[in-house]
Amino acid sequence: MMLTDEEKRMLDGSCGEGMRRAMEIIITLAKTYDAERLIKISSAHLGATFKSHGIEGLEWVEELVEQGAQCDLEKVFVSLNPRSFDVDHWREIGFEEEALANQERLDRCYRRLGTIPIYSCVHYLLGNVPKRGDHFSWSGSSGQVFANSVLGAMGNREGVWANVAAAVTGRTPEYGLHLKENRVGQVLVTTEDLDLSKFSAVNYASLGYFVAREISDQIPVFSGLPQYLTLEQLRGLAYSLPVSGAVPMFHVLGLTPEAMTWGEAFGGKEPQRRLIVRPGDLMKVQELLNTSKRKEVDLVCFGCPHCTLEELREAATLLEGKKVNENVRLWLCTSRWFKDLADRLGYKKTIERAGGLILADICAGPSAPFNYLKKGISVVATNSVKTAFYAPGTSKVDVLFGDTKKCIEAALRGKWEN
Amino acid sequence: MKIRLQGRGITKGKAEGEAVVTKEPISFWGGLDRETGDIVDRNHELAGVNVKGKILIFPHGKGSTGGSRTLYASAKKGTAPSAIINVRAESIIATGAIVAGIPLVDRLDQDPISTIQTGDYVWVDADTGIVLVEKKKT
Repeated sequence: MMLTDEEKRMLDGSCGEGMRRAMEIIITLAKTYDAERLIKISSAHLGATFKSHGIEGLEWVEELVEQGAQCDLEKVFVSLNPRSFDVDHWREIGFEEEALANQERLDRCYRRLGTIPIYSCVHYLLGNVPKRGDHFSWSGSSGQVFANSVLGAMGNREGVWANVAAAVTGRTPEYGLHLKENRVGQVLVTTEDLDLSKFSAVNYASLGYFVAREISDQIPVFSGLPQYLTLEQLRGLAYSLPVSGAVPMFHVLGLTPEAMTWGEAFGGKEPQRRLIVRPGDLMKVQELLNTSKRKEVDLVCFGCPHCTLEELREAATLLEGKKVNENVRLWLCTSRWFKDLADRLGYKKTIERAGGLILADICAGPSAPFNYLKKGISVVATNSVKTAFYAPGTSKVDVLFGDTKKCIEAALRGKWEN
Repeated sequence: MKIRLQGRGITKGKAEGEAVVTKEPISFWGGLDRETGDIVDRNHELAGVNVKGKILIFPHGKGSTGGSRTLYASAKKGTAPSAIINVRAESIIATGAIVAGIPLVDRLDQDPISTIQTGDYVWVDADTGIVLVEKKKT
């Protein structure tokens, strides 16, 4: 493998032990994939929940910082994924004081590493925006698929330590999705008898969930989708594809940047496979994700991935002048910036008047806030296929999955209507 | 007589122990109990098997990228496998193993999953990529 003089110095310890250890991880990764060289990244994004680190993970990062590892924000934008608690509402959601201390210790550690505490998985809407052809190293599958597919930036799905090492060294091995030839479509996906003009963002997530179950880790090319898709609709595809499978990116023919033409989308070759999606397939997703026999809802939870401003507006509109049932909690998880904007726009007031709560900085997916409530939450309604997929296993709750309107109606009535 | 396999060492180090072999990929995140070293993924064919101090042999990693953190945490607690052999290593296992200091070998000249059986005694030298296997007495 070819290393530049600067990279050799990083590896031989001349730039400090922290840098050497970070470089050692990058070199191991390069070796694993037979990469010929390292490339510079302009963007990194790191996991930041104490829950996923554990005390050992926390101490490992602390040690790295002690040994002088430091991000260089002039070269790489390094942001953080959601953490485990909301500073304003942690008591209300049942977060424990002991866990709070650990999370704050982790926050301090990442601050010392030189990262930017965005605490959101929609960091690509909040300043960490790699351009087409830029290289990145991100934790969090939803953003990773979004950046590759919609932004046309280039980055692999890697172990979390690899992201930390890339943030510190500003390097990643050149392999996988960093190479153009590995980004071409493999499976042609079309639909039959589905009225796409009425498809919501939640419907697109169901579509992605179904497709990934079928194609595992191949790259799909969606053909015949409307030529205007909203941010939320595109994100619906992006976040669902790595939930039921390990799809690293997708193309939408005529819409996403690397699929303007058929030839470009498939790299001049024929599709390896064709997949047709029919209404029954999406009904099946609905059935798979609905695990609850009980129809009384304890909690309605949105925000995996974090709610966009538009999703907060939609919720506020549906809740205007109404009241959430007294037996139900309604939580919307988002970034602090969108919460502030929702406050300025009056959405927050509307949602809170109705009895809902906007939570900031906190994850609504695998590290969901309802993990912390020890009792009283056994049925969770959600519009997220990711929350629906993870919650039964990680939080031991049953799930009702449906679109935003249906979830809000359940929050108001206290009951899920089939 | 020992069987000799030649592979590629990805991380460094040597270890020996009893083999635990599976043909299914493993997700350490949510799949390995870092406190005990038990495989806790209920849908996995190794469900309930303890891998602490074992030579763990599986095709490749899968699942959440947090798996590299779980592997490191279990190594710190002393519940991790003492070496890993993959058919083909990928990023989650490779970066987890380097940080945890676990010897990792892949791309052996014979398929490790059919050549090695659970209960065989295995020596792994990740510095040279050489794996020695003594079949268990039947």
